[in-house]
This record gives sequence, structure tokens and C-alpha cells, in this order.
Amino acid sequence: MEELGKTILKLIPVIGDQLADISVLVFVIGAAPPLIFILLYALVTLYTEMKVSAHIQDRVAYMYTGYHGILQPVADILKLIQKEDTVPDSADKTLFRLAPYLVFIGTYAGFAVIPFSSAYMGSNINLGVFYLIAASSIVVIGLLMSGWASNNKWSLLGAMRSAAQLVSYEVPTALAVLVAVMITGSLNLNEVSKFQDGGIQNWILFGGPMPITQKLLLLPFTFITFLILFLAGMAEVNRTPFDLPEAESELVQGFNTEYSGMKFAIFYLAEYANMFLVSAVATSLFLGGWSSPFGSFMSGPVWGVFWFVMKGMFFVFVQIWMRWTLPRLRVDQLMYTSWKVMTPFLFVCIFAVGLILVL
Amino acid sequence: MDLFSVIFYVFAVITLGAAGIVVFSRNIVHSAFALLFAFFGVAGIYVLLMADFLAITQLMIYVGGILVLLIFGVMLTQRQIAVDIKTGTIQTIPALIIVSALAGTLVGMFWVTVWRTSGIPPVEPTASKIGELLLTTYLLPFEVASVVLLVALIGAAMIARREKKA
Amino acid sequence: MFDIHYSSLTAVQTYFRNIWLALYTALIGMRLTWRHLFTPAVTIQYPDVKLKLPERARNRLYVNIDDCIGCDQCSMACPVDCITIETIKGTPDQDLGTTSTGNKKRLHVPVFDIDIAKCCYCGLCVYPCPTECIVMTDVYEFSEFDRRNLNYHYSAMTPAEIAVAKEKLRKYDEEQAAKKAAAAAAAPKPPAPAATATPPPKPETPPN
Ligand code: SF4
Ligand code: SF4
Repeated sequence: MEELGKTILKLIPVIGDQLADISVLVFVIGAAPPLIFILLYALVTLYTEMKVSAHIQDRVAYMYTGYHGILQPVADILKLIQKEDTVPDSADKTLFRLAPYLVFIGTYAGFAVIPFSSAYMGSNINLGVFYLIAASSIVVIGLLMSGWASNNKWSLLGAMRSAAQLVSYEVPTALAVLVAVMITGSLNLNEVSKFQDGGIQNWILFGGPMPITQKLLLLPFTFITFLILFLAGMAEVNRTPFDLPEAESELVQGFNTEYSGMKFAIFYLAEYANMFLVSAVATSLFLGGWSSPFGSFMSGPVWGVFWFVMKGMFFVFVQIWMRWTLPRLRVDQLMYTSWKVMTPFLFVCIFAVGLILVL
Repeated sequence: MDLFSVIFYVFAVITLGAAGIVVFSRNIVHSAFALLFAFFGVAGIYVLLMADFLAITQLMIYVGGILVLLIFGVMLTQRQIAVDIKTGTIQTIPALIIVSALAGTLVGMFWVTVWRTSGIPPVEPTASKIGELLLTTYLLPFEVASVVLLVALIGAAMIARREKKA
Repeated sequence: MFDIHYSSLTAVQTYFRNIWLALYTALIGMRLTWRHLFTPAVTIQYPDVKLKLPERARNRLYVNIDDCIGCDQCSMACPVDCITIETIKGTPDQDLGTTSTGNKKRLHVPVFDIDIAKCCYCGLCVYPCPTECIVMTDVYEFSEFDRRNLNYHYSAMTPAEIAVAKEKLRKYDEEQAAKKAAAAAAAPKPPAPAATATPPPKPETPPN
């Protein structure tokens, strides 16, 4: 450890020289907004989830910390920070400690290509969505790692389930993304959003900015694709009704059974960040991303952030709403949905969209 | 040393260190997980080479596909059925000979090759270029590869099915 | 619309029907939860708002010690023995008053403890009380930091009063004993003085 520290110290002058070069600063500053956003968003979503779940069940949820319990998420986080960070005796210590960070890194890396507005995007690479899907595979490894390192049968089962689930649902997700990419001709989410700029009628969900006949032909297929993308995305973030990996009633929270304190908080943060990531991808691909639904009215880089976050949050809300409505799927139903329903439907959609676009 | 060199060395160290763990770790699961970092380091070096498509494909296929399956399998070998699978050393002498021969060849190639830096600026949107080439110039290899994969898929399905009937 | 006979459908029809039903029923559920999202909550904010308890609710006991005649019936009825009662006989010169139900009080009650931590709120102690002075109240918030604080003392007698009562009883007993002795001495036949006689054997178990 000391050796490593010395090596890093030796490297610092090198990096320091580079700091004069503005590009490093740009990287650092450019990477910060999503992180800040995730932290704030997690607080808001924590509150929303509790309140929505409570009201759906005709309860009121917390009411005492601040006005209608508005400060409760802060209190929750403080509690988690203070909690003892236990590592089970028989766990694989290194992997156990590493896993939550890996999960969060996988999620956070995905945010690099999310266009929050026409003016801001972490990394403007051409392969946007493709990169995002690849980055999310790190999450799978992180979950497997946590499950195995916990050395607990619930955790292992949860990890196995989550791996099976994520690998299966990556297929429909990628295929659904492909449909939108075929229509726009770009993998860059910013380009895709720009393509749909100019009002609600240009959203790919409604056929994109095409001539009217093509639009009408595309509409059913894009609609189905969007639905599948959203559902498959929900499955990828392990939310009910697809929460088999953490199924608290049968697997005692699955892969995070053994986690507590900060590490648990990081898992939680990653899950919430993932919820937004899924919504953000669906939004950028099918609902115009940062573009205003009213054409040039209320559009611009700052309004872009507003629209983007609004649309994203709407789908986060829908996810919460679904979570507190629907029961959990069975494992075989889960696989059935992915391989026998979503995938064939998407093949049809891809074929049809390709045909319509060529014609 | 400029920034790119620093990043290169960082990735190189990650790759080699992780590869070292893969080879030398006595715990097979640690080896499997260390592979993640090895793949990741290689992907980073691809990015430095401006081969972004390749880098992401590397992550996607090796990390998202192969490694997950590998870990999936390896994970079930230890602890749960109380059998410790450890890597042992057998046949040291033949292995040493083969390895040194291979290493010698590689080092020799490295020595002999004249390394050139291309003056051509990197192609920007690599994905579309690759796609174009795959569907024009390299259509045949592409199709052959896909047929091979399809055969493997069908074979796997067959094997899975047969077990069910028996 | 759900009771379609699946046997009459082909495999393809079943496949699409299942997909349709999955989406349709999910939407039904979501409509339901959406409505409930705006239904006023059925729960109340407990410490701030409290529901009125039903009239016969059984909670903390209360003893109106002024009405207690110390008959010990409640203590005997209690299945967990959490009521401790000690009594001192009143002497004829003292007037202990009457209860509100008109019973004459003959005993002092220097100790009347209910260990409410043991109480199971069965209410069995309430029924036998002849003066209806032990009752269930609607107080249910009486948590304590120390378990011992849950042992409620209902007796209103101060130590001084207890001492006085005991003293009086002792004197009275002595007087009575003296009277008896005098009567015995005055009697023609003095066979055995009470002081030296062996007492009758005590029963092994207490009468309750
Ligand atoms: S309510 Fe029951 S348990 Fe409680 S003191 Fe009366 S008889 Fe005993
Ligand atoms: S039954 Fe009533 S009167 Fe008798 S000792 Fe108990 S409380 Fe007093």
C-alpha cells in the first residue's frame, strides 16, 4: 500500500504539468455534473418512491422530518453513513469490498453518453448507446462478485439470477435500441435527440420526422419497440416486477443481503441511478431527449435540461408506479418474456422498420 | 511524458497486473474476476489507439458475454460444493520449454519488426466505416463467421434438447 | 372476458392472447393503483391524531383506592399474580368510612401494587370486585425507560399512617388478648393458658 502511494506521488508532477493543459480540467469538470445529478436525484427519488408507494397503499409515509417528511431522505443517508460497515467473517474480503464500487462504476460510466441538454453531454462519442450497453455489463460482473463474495446462498442465488436476467434482457434492449438507431442513423444519443427536435410529432415514438405515410407505417412498430425497451430496461435494473435477483420475500434481498452501511448505500445509489439511466435512454431514443415537445417554444440548452429531467423523471415515476402495482414474475416467466416474446417481436419490428425506411 | 503516455502506462499496468493475478492466483474465482480488469485494460489501450468501436466491442463481448458465463461456471465450482479447485503445477520441464520457445518467438518478432507510425489521421466515425467494409469488401468472411456462430448456436440448442428427452 | 376456453384456441392464438392479457391486466392494475394514489389515506398520524377506543377496550388498570375494601378478590382472580395487596385490620374505634357503593370499609390497604408490566389485560380482576373500584381505562401510552416504574402503587396511605394503623391494631390485639386472659382467669376452670398452648398446625399451602 505504501509502495502504491509513493508511486502515485511520483506521478503527481506529471499530472500536475498536464493540469496546465486545459483538457484535463475539462475532463474532470465534464465528468462531475452527472455525479452531482445522481446524488440529488437519488434523494428526490428516495422521497418519491416512499411517498408514491405509501399513497398507492392509502398511507401517508413519513410526515415529521420537515414539511411532509421532505428531509427524511437526508436523514436516511446520514443513518446509512453512520452505520457500521460490516464485512462477514467468511466472506471473500477483497471482492466483497470491491463489488459495490464496480456496480456503481458501471452505472456511472453509462451516464457519460447521456445528453442532458443540447449543450451538455459527458462524452460526445459516436458510439453512444453501444458504449452504454457495454458499460452496463460491468454491472453484471459487480453483482456476480457481490453475490459470490458474500458466501451466502441467498446472495449467490440472487447473483446467479441477476446474471441470467441481465444477459437475457441485454438482447431485447440492444435490439430495441437498434430500431431507433436505424431510424436516425446514429448511435450518438445527442444526434438522436437532435433528429427528433421540433415538437412532439417528431418523436420517434410517433414515427419520427418522416413524411406522413412513412410515419404512419412506422408508428405501430416504434410504439411496440418503445414499450419493449422500457420493460426490458426495467428488467435490467432489477426493479419489480423483474426484481428476482433481490426478491426480498424469497432471497432476503439477494446479492445485497450481507451489505450494510455505506456499501449498501452505494448499491442503492447504483440502483436508483440505473433507473434514471434506463429512463434517459428510452427518452433520448424515443421521446426526443432534451428537445421541447412544443417545437421551438421553451427550447434551448437550459430548457433542454428541464425537459430531459422531466421526461426522465416521468419514467422513473412510472417505474415506481409499476413496482407498487405488479407482483414479481416467476423465473420461467421472466425468461419466456425475454426470449419468446420480446426478442421475436423486436425481430419483426427491425425487419419492418428496415423495410419501411428503404422504401 | 505527456498525458497519453501516462494513461497508456496506467492501462498497461492494469492489464499486466490483472493478467498476473489471472495466472498466479491460487483461487480460481479471483482469476476469473481479475480477467475483468485485464479486458478492461486492453479496452482502454484500444481507445488510446483510436479504435473506439473495437474497445467497446471488447467490453461488450468479453466482459458482457464471455466473462459472465465464465464466472457463472467458475462460481459454482467452489465453496458451494466444498471442492477447492486450485491451479497446480504439473510437467514443469515440457511447459518451460514450450513457453520459452513461444516467448522467444514473440520477443524476436518484437525485435525484428520495424515499428512505423502511420501519418494518416485516425478515421473519426469508425463504426460506420467498419459497417460499410463488413457489408462490401469483407462480406464473405462476415457471412461465414455468422454462419459458424449460427451452427454453434444450433448445436448448443441440440445438446440442451437431447438431455431433456433422455 | 377472461374465461375463454383455452382449449378452443390454437397455440398461436394462445400466445397472442397471453401477451394481450398480460398487458391488459397490468394496465387494469395500474389504473387501480393510480386511483388509490389520490385516495385520502386511511391511516392516521398516530401521536398527533388518535382514534377513539371502543368503550370496552382493555388497557391500563385504575384502582379507586378510596372505594377499595381490601377484599383481595381481584388479586386472587389474576392469572399472572401481578396484584399485590396487604391489609391491616381496622379497629372498632376507627371509622374507615364507607365506599361510594355503600359497603363498609373494615380494612386498611397499605399496599396495593399492580405490576402492569406483567399484566396481560385479561380483565379478570375487574369482575369480582364488589365495589367496582378496579377498572380498565383507555390509557395505553405508558411506556417507561425502567421496567420497575411499571409497578404502580395505588395505596394512598403514608408510612406514618401505616405505622399508626399497625400500632392501633397491635394495641387492640393486646387489649383483646388481655381481655381474653382476664376472662379466662375469671373463669372457674383454668386448664390451659393460651400463651403456652401449642398452636394448631398451619396448612401447608396458602388458602388462595
Ligand atoms: S387484567 Fe388480568 S392480568 Fe391484569 S391485573 Fe387484572 S387479572 Fe391480572
Ligand atoms: S376486588 Fe376491589 S375491593 Fe377487593 S381488593 Fe380488589 S380492588 Fe379492592
